[in-house]
Formats: sequence, structure tokens, C-alpha cells
Amino acid sequence: MRVVLYTGKGGVGKTTTAAATAVHAARSGRSTLVASADSAHSLGDVLERRLGPSPSRIAPGLDALEVDTPTETHRHWGAVRDYLVSLFRYQGIEEVVAEELALLPGAEEITTLLAVEAHARDGGYDFVVVDCAPTDSALRLLTLPEVARGAFRVLLRVQRVLASVVTPLARNLIPVPLPESEVFRDAEQLLFRKLRRLRDFASDRRTSVRLVVTPERMVIDEALRAHTDLALFELSCDAVVMNRLLPEAAAEEEFFRDWARLQVERLAEVERLFAPLPVLTAPLQDDEVTGLDRLAQHADRLFGAVEADAVLCTAPRIRFQAEKGGYRVEVPLPHTASRQLDVAKIDDELVIETGTRRRCLPLPRRIAHLELSHATQRDGSLVVHFAAAEGAT
Amino acid sequence: MRVILLTGKGGVGKTSHAIATALGAAAHGHRVFLLSADPAHSLGDALGQRVGARPMSLTEGVVAREVAVLDELDRSWAEIQRWLRELLRDETDEVLAEELLVFPGLEELVALRAIREVEETGDFDVCVVDCAPTGATLRMLRFPDALRIFMENFFDLERRGARLLRPLVERIHATGVIPRDEFFEAIERLYSDVEDVRHILLDGDRTTARLVVNPARVVVEETRRSFAYLSLYGVATDAVVVNRLLPEEAAGGFLARWAERERGELDSIEASFPIPQFRAPLYPHELCGIEDLSRLARDVFGDRDPAAVFTHGRPIRLRKHAGRTRLEVDLPGVSKEEIEVVTRGSDLVVQVRNASRWIALPASVRGLPIRRARLREGVLEVDFG
Repeated sequence: MRVVLYTGKGGVGKTTTAAATAVHAARSGRSTLVASADSAHSLGDVLERRLGPSPSRIAPGLDALEVDTPTETHRHWGAVRDYLVSLFRYQGIEEVVAEELALLPGAEEITTLLAVEAHARDGGYDFVVVDCAPTDSALRLLTLPEVARGAFRVLLRVQRVLASVVTPLARNLIPVPLPESEVFRDAEQLLFRKLRRLRDFASDRRTSVRLVVTPERMVIDEALRAHTDLALFELSCDAVVMNRLLPEAAAEEEFFRDWARLQVERLAEVERLFAPLPVLTAPLQDDEVTGLDRLAQHADRLFGAVEADAVLCTAPRIRFQAEKGGYRVEVPLPHTASRQLDVAKIDDELVIETGTRRRCLPLPRRIAHLELSHATQRDGSLVVHFAAAEGAT
Repeated sequence: MRVILLTGKGGVGKTSHAIATALGAAAHGHRVFLLSADPAHSLGDALGQRVGARPMSLTEGVVAREVAVLDELDRSWAEIQRWLRELLRDETDEVLAEELLVFPGLEELVALRAIREVEETGDFDVCVVDCAPTGATLRMLRFPDALRIFMENFFDLERRGARLLRPLVERIHATGVIPRDEFFEAIERLYSDVEDVRHILLDGDRTTARLVVNPARVVVEETRRSFAYLSLYGVATDAVVVNRLLPEEAAGGFLARWAERERGELDSIEASFPIPQFRAPLYPHELCGIEDLSRLARDVFGDRDPAAVFTHGRPIRLRKHAGRTRLEVDLPGVSKEEIEVVTRGSDLVVQVRNASRWIALPASVRGLPIRRARLREGVLEVDFG
């Protein structure tokens, strides 16, 4: 199963691009699912169909769905949420506010991705297209399985301590509702059974992220940072979509002269900065692109002779190599030549920080016992060298 | 100190307007601090110059800074991390700040705490905050409440328990699980930070949010939801800024149909936000740097001081009444014959004469039927359930 996730800064046309990609692939005979994982759904509007939380057939070979985030979250986190509501209400918080407070934000992101993954797996599709939330939440969503692991472990441990040692005594000290153990069992089940699967889904070789941009500087800058952070977590990008290029008809108008000139520069810049990723381009249309036929036309312009579901580029993976006196770890990190990266070895993990994200990369046993000697940045890669500690044999 | 929170859906031009507001306020003689609390910092991108985690002078009367969340967490959470590490000692793994970040709202709290630091210096009249896109901002606003409750219960309670138990537990070799006093001190500092931030955010005389929107349907819909939530959490919203309106000279050619759609959206913005409205056009070139953004401030605010509070009050409120959720909407100067109330999807539509007001409903009442609606002393009360 091939999976493509679209993300980018808000308002760049992610949903339109995702829908167009799906329509295009379905018309070329792929059995396709397009899913909206952005809680502010607009996929249904773009497809001009009312969509539900399960796949519905909207054209031959094409299913679509919008994840019902509140329902999914309730299913997985109901007990935790009920407990929080009772705690908040006990504190005299108005019930309405208590109910809103108890919606766990990280939980929404996890459950959304879980729902997409489940439908994708069960439906036997050739091709799954996901319309993700804007860049920052999407990154959070994609890197969450890894990041959440540690946090939940803490939560569970704290709960065990509370339950076994402190709680029996504390119950007599302060009459406040305390969590029952099933509250945390929910979290535990979700965590251990499913986070692993999510991580596999996101980092599979047949899963790619495509970054959608417009010819605006702030949009491009954010996409560059996203590209770095995706690489840090070994999530592969296979293309950049440059959307809303002014067509000739508009570029000739006096008002848009500067914008038209600028976008030629921006396109060249994007092609250079993101190489070797291919840059697919789509023009600004004269009206909103909605409905299957207009989406198909839009996709024709976007993809030309390229297959919408092809893997358009393969990102290099992290490599561990022996070298004289030790080992080197090469981490592909595009666009970081002029950025400061923090690198440290803590216990058995290599910790890399880009300023916005931090990854703890478990080291293979043969490297884990060595010391970090030095690190260098070159050609879009971070190279970390490990050697035996001085005095060690 | 006046606090202005700029928020809106991603990509609408929030950052440009935050900078313009800061520059405009400085031009009116205020000493301004411009703070980016959006984890995807873009102050530097919009200014064409680097802005870092340390305060830097941008221009006469404006100091700017981007909050580096990971560093801040390392700084203030060192003790807490140490405890967690001990707690997990037998599980070999480390707990790092990044992992703590998944706890709801922590990232936002760290960002908000920076507002208090600005106030403590006493050197500034106005703090303009470039907030994360809408969803994250709302999380940020509800966080102080949630954390306060946890603090007052769990931690105080655990502390009492810890004092009581430590002598006992030490003997059975489990000291790691009982936090030391430094841990509680760190938690208490965090707690007092939260209290301070809460006071700042909920003080409608000096703190207001401003919503930046584009005249596009998806943007207006999401912003309508934010407006209701800001109201719900008790944060005053004193203006909406409509950004990137196609100017007349661009509205006749290839983009004519887009311009027509924009006019429709302007009506919808009018119906959704009963607060002062400011407008900014799409410019014939990209706005970048202090000169461009100062011009944007002049175009948006004219002679008015951007730091003024443009309106007071919360026009939409939700409360529990006799076991049911009641929505209250200020509707001064109308009689009940002129009003019609219906739900449509996740919105409540209030029709007054020929105009309608769209109000996004919070998740807890979405889908519930309207049980009763009545008008009392200029306030429409709608009961759900």
C-alpha cells in the first residue's frame, strides 16, 4: 500500500492538492482512499460530497473520509476524560468549561492518525492520500508516536506510585477524586499496542510526505524547516508542490507585475533548495477548484506525465559505518548548513536537536559503548564520530 | 502593561500584523515588546533579519524576542526532569524535555510565561504576542486552569504524602520514587507562574485578543470557532483584522471571480464577529521589513493607536443553568419578534431581521437540540439539552 501525506503552512491548498491527487490516481485505475486528518475538515467541500468517518465511495475506485476526531478520541480516551471532568467539576469549574478542558490535545492527534491507519489497512487500497493538518501540528502528529512513548511511561509510573504508596493515605487527607486504575489502563493499552504501529505506518518506505508551498517567502521558509525535522525523524519526503503560480493571464496585469517576477525567482529557489526533490507546479485557477472534474483537470496540470502514486524521490536513511578507530553515524539533515545543531550522547542514545525538535536515536550496541568524539555538518548531513574512550582497551 | 494577542488560522498574515501592531504602537510613543510564542517562529522571516531567543532592539521603541521552548524547559524543568529520571532509573531510558512536551499545554505555558517576564522588567507599556495558529492558542488559554487544578490537588497532596512516607520508604530502598523538596519547589514556581499568566490573560481591561482572517470561507469558519472559544475561556477579543483583500485594480481581471467570493465572505465576517473590524489590502509586492510593515500599520489603523482597547466585554457566554448548558448572546436593541434561532451543523444561527449571526458551538453542546430560547434585557438565552 502506497501512502502519501500532504502538509504545508495553512491556506496553501493542501486539501485541494490531496483531493486532486486521489482523483487522478483513481482515474488511472488505482483503488484509492483519500482521508482528512485535519480537524478543520474541508475535504468534503472540495469533493462536493458529504463525508463521514468511514470510507464512502464517491467515484469508481475512489473512497473518502473525514476522521471524526471527537468520537475517536472518546473511544480511546473516554475513561481518562471522564476522570478529568470529574476532577475539574469538583474544583467548582463550570461543567461546560470542564468538558472542554478535558479534551487532551496530544490525544486528538494520535487518535486521528490511528483512525486513518486502521481504515487504510482494512480497506485493502493500492493508494492512500492523507490531507494533514498544517505543518506544525502535522509534524507533531507524525513524530508523536516516538515522543509520546517516554511521556506515557512517566505517567504510568507516577500513577503506580500514587496508587500503591501515596493514595491510600492521601485519600484520608484530602477528599478529592483520585484516578482509578482503569483510567490509566486506557492510556497504557493505546500506547503499547498502537504507537508502534503508527510509527511503522509513518516511517514505512512506501510512505512519503509531500510539502505544499505557494511562492511566498514565509511559506517556503516554514517548508524548509519542516523538511529538516521530517528528515530528523526519518520520515521521507518525495516531492514539493508549488501551488498558486499566477497564470500568464494574471501575470500580465499591472497590479501583479511584481508578484509575477517574484514567483519566477521563488520557483527557481525552491527547485535549488529542495533538490533532489522534484517540484510539481500548479497554477492559480480562476475560481475555487471543487468537484471531481475540476480536480482531475487540476491534477493533470500538476502531475503531467508523472504517476500520482509513484515514489518520486527516496530520502537517504541514517547510516552507521565503521571507520578507523570507531564508528560514524551519518544523519541526513537538509537545510542545516548554517544552523546550529546540538548533539550529545546520553546513555545509549544519540540526542540531536534542531532548535525546534529533538530526537533521541537509540544506538546499536556496538556503538553505544563508545564515546562521542566529534560531529561535523556537510552537504545536508550531520556526521557524528564515535571512538573508544581514552584509556579503555 | 497592555497585552495584545494576535491569533488566527495559519498562513493568514498573523505575524506581519503582530509586527505592524508593534511598530504602530511604538509610533504612538509606547515602549513595545514584541514576543513570538508560535513554535514555528516567523518574526525573522517577516522582518528579513534574525530575531533570537534573547531580546533585541528592532527599531526605536520596539524590542523583540522569540521564545525557544526547548531551552526554556531545560532551564525551568531541570529539577523536575531529575526526579523523573530517578523515577525511571530501573528502566534505563532518559526522560527529556521533548517528551514532557506532550503533556497538554506545557509548551504553551512556557511561551506564555515570557509575557510575565516582560512585565516584570517594568520597561514596557505594551506587549504584542504573535501566537501559534488558532487551535494551539486555545489550548494555551485553557492550560492555566487545568494546571492550577492539578497543582492544587495532586502535587500538594503528593507532597504531604511524601513527607509522611519518606522515612518509611527509605528503608525499603525506594527513595527514587518519592520526590525531593527541590522537585516541589520547581512545581510551586511553575504554579505561581501559571497564576500570574492567568491573571494577565483574563484581565479584559488590558489584555485582548485580535483575530486575523482572510476573506476565504475555510478561514472564516475556523476563526468563528476561535472567537467563541476565546469568549468561553474569558478572554476579550477587541478587533478582527481582515487581511489581503484584493484591491479594486486587481479585482477586475483574471481574479474577478475570487474578488466576488471575497465580497461574500466579508458579509459572513460581518455576521460572525460583532466587534470592530480593520482591513488590509493585498499589496502589489510582498511585505518584508520594518518599512513595509510600518506602512501596513498606517494603512490598517490610520491615526488610531493600535494599542487602544477597541471594545470591552464578552458578547458570547456559556454557563450551566439548572443542569443544562445555556448560551448567552448580547443582542442589545432588538425585540423578540425579530429574532429566530436555529442550529446548523456545528453552528448556532441567530437571525435578527435580515441579518444573521453565526456562532460556533463548543464540542460539549454540539449536536444537542435547542430546548428553549428567550430574550431578556438585551441578552438572548439559548438552553441546550
